[in-house]
Amino acid sequence: MRESCESVLTVRNLKTYFRTPEGIVKAVDDISFELNKGEVLALVGESGCGKSVTASSILGLVKAPPAMVEGSIRFRGRELVGMAAKDYRTIRGKQISMIFQEPMSAFDPLYTVGYQLLEVARAHMPWSDGEAKEKIIDSLRSIHIPEPEKRYGEYPHEMSGGMLQRIMIAMALITSPEIIIADEPTTALDVTIQAQVLNIMQDLQRDYSGSIIFITHDLGTVAEIAHRVHVMYAGKIVEKGPVVELFEEPLHPYTLGLLTSRVKREYKGQDLPFIEGYVPRPNELPDGCRFHPRCPRAMERCRREQPPDFEPASMPGRTVACWLWEGGDAE
Amino acid sequence: MKILSARRLKKYFPIRSGVFLQVSAYVRALKAVDIDVEEGATIGIVGESGCGKSTLGRTLVKIHEPTEGKITYCDPTGQEHDVSRSLGRNLAPTFRKDIQMIFQNPYDSLDPRMTIRDTVREPIITHRLLPDAGAVDSYVAELLTKVGLYPEYAARYPHEFSGGQRQRIAIARSISVRPRLLICDEPTSALDVSVQSQVINLLKDIQRETNMALVFISHNLDVVHHMSDRIMVMYLGSVVESAPSDALFDAPMHPYTQALMSAVPSWDPRNRKLGAVKLEGEPPSPINPPPGCPFHPRCPRRMDVCEKTMPEAVDIGGGHMVACHLFAGS
Repeated sequence: MRESCESVLTVRNLKTYFRTPEGIVKAVDDISFELNKGEVLALVGESGCGKSVTASSILGLVKAPPAMVEGSIRFRGRELVGMAAKDYRTIRGKQISMIFQEPMSAFDPLYTVGYQLLEVARAHMPWSDGEAKEKIIDSLRSIHIPEPEKRYGEYPHEMSGGMLQRIMIAMALITSPEIIIADEPTTALDVTIQAQVLNIMQDLQRDYSGSIIFITHDLGTVAEIAHRVHVMYAGKIVEKGPVVELFEEPLHPYTLGLLTSRVKREYKGQDLPFIEGYVPRPNELPDGCRFHPRCPRAMERCRREQPPDFEPASMPGRTVACWLWEGGDAE
Repeated sequence: MKILSARRLKKYFPIRSGVFLQVSAYVRALKAVDIDVEEGATIGIVGESGCGKSTLGRTLVKIHEPTEGKITYCDPTGQEHDVSRSLGRNLAPTFRKDIQMIFQNPYDSLDPRMTIRDTVREPIITHRLLPDAGAVDSYVAELLTKVGLYPEYAARYPHEFSGGQRQRIAIARSISVRPRLLICDEPTSALDVSVQSQVINLLKDIQRETNMALVFISHNLDVVHHMSDRIMVMYLGSVVESAPSDALFDAPMHPYTQALMSAVPSWDPRNRKLGAVKLEGEPPSPINPPPGCPFHPRCPRRMDVCEKTMPEAVDIGGGHMVACHLFAGS
């Protein structure tokens, strides 16, 4: 584990709600977390749990209205919630940058990738175009793009998904940001390409000591890259902990369910273990703990009251939002 | 009993360009693939995107016409038919009823304007399985119960369901005509992990009950292993290795299969393994495939011969077939 615990981003009681014709959708509902310098923090959860909305909220990309963002996101002493669009532009893309899920649709098909990288450099860096081009080609080389000079002048459709995803990583790194938010960066890729991209991200993270928020639904990749893990369910963070401890001893029944949903070789010929039921729709959230309709250990109290974060005394650095842990230890 | 088999199956898609849309090149999606599907058995097809696994599924179910090669279909009476070309008016109803398919994305494969009842009922009516409307409705209710949905849902529309529920509806639709073979093209890829296992268990249950054969296409090695009796590993339109699923997992022989397995994350943060993955580069384009073995540009063990000749599949024992020059002559 990393020693330095200097926090670069502090999120407190963040709520992102959307007003829709079907009622208010609580996409992110009162979450708090901290991102430390030099760490890879994984936000894990299934579709609709609010992980991408969290990312968009940090980057100021949710449109208000219809969205309502409340709470506090502090980045180097500055409050991001409610910041003017003009000021946001000096942070977004420069100090906090983003890697998107679908490399094929994240690039503009009408411009060469070189031009699109240059655009980022022009907006944020004091370089001349010639200088910028050199630096871009260097950064393409550093992520093992073959023939970077040739690739610079090519269009997105001339490249494969894996190549574009690596170029997007290069794009996110041009401004040497302090935080990179990677939203499902390997989900659209094949496993062999995924391994390459994860390796590149790991090398870069080691070299430049920035922090990464790694958003994914795939616990396998989390085990490969993260230092700390936050598990989200239906807009809430249900469990936080260091990666090794969380994988070895999951505290929340949902985390346990996710970990046992892995298809293991031993299960061949038997039924696979699974979590009953389905993820609730964000406008039909159950009362009490949001996981209780699917939880094998639900108690009467879970149906009525939302559990706060408990910090088991025997496990420093871990929190779990589950009534089983009231008083510090599971009953 | 055999249901479907294909020999030297080939599917090239023409690329047309220019004013007169002349054929300028071909996407070589399938190159000489052999497959045999037996009753009650599951064949898994695994490979990365662009390897031709979906094309194989779609060619078998006759969405695509093969460019070359032979598909033999064995009808329920045991009579063999050559279905490489058009099915013909006499055979089509039997074939379509016998061989069904479920698709990857349950958000696209259900008609948004049809209720669940209409969706599930359509194949039953088309194939005139039941005499009257009352019988059809109770059969639809029975099917929905079987796939784990409430019969009351029948009047709802697809948008009212989650991904996992929609995939269950698609399964109910495909099994409604009691097919002998179900081709599943990435049936769980669009689903959340906690729901994926539910759908896999459901497919297995139905198979146990009906002795239906499955062709299970997926990029997820663990899921394919769980489902299949035999696995075919595809790369760039060719089958590079095929073996009983345990044999393949215990001892993968082809360098590509080995690379593919090593690239699957370990789920163990104490023993991270992706740093050790040595596979460089990306699969080449199927428009301009490399000569010789399709995998040779990325292969850590390539030899001179690999660049020139395509290796033939050899049996290295117990039905474990490998198409690699390393095993030629063994």
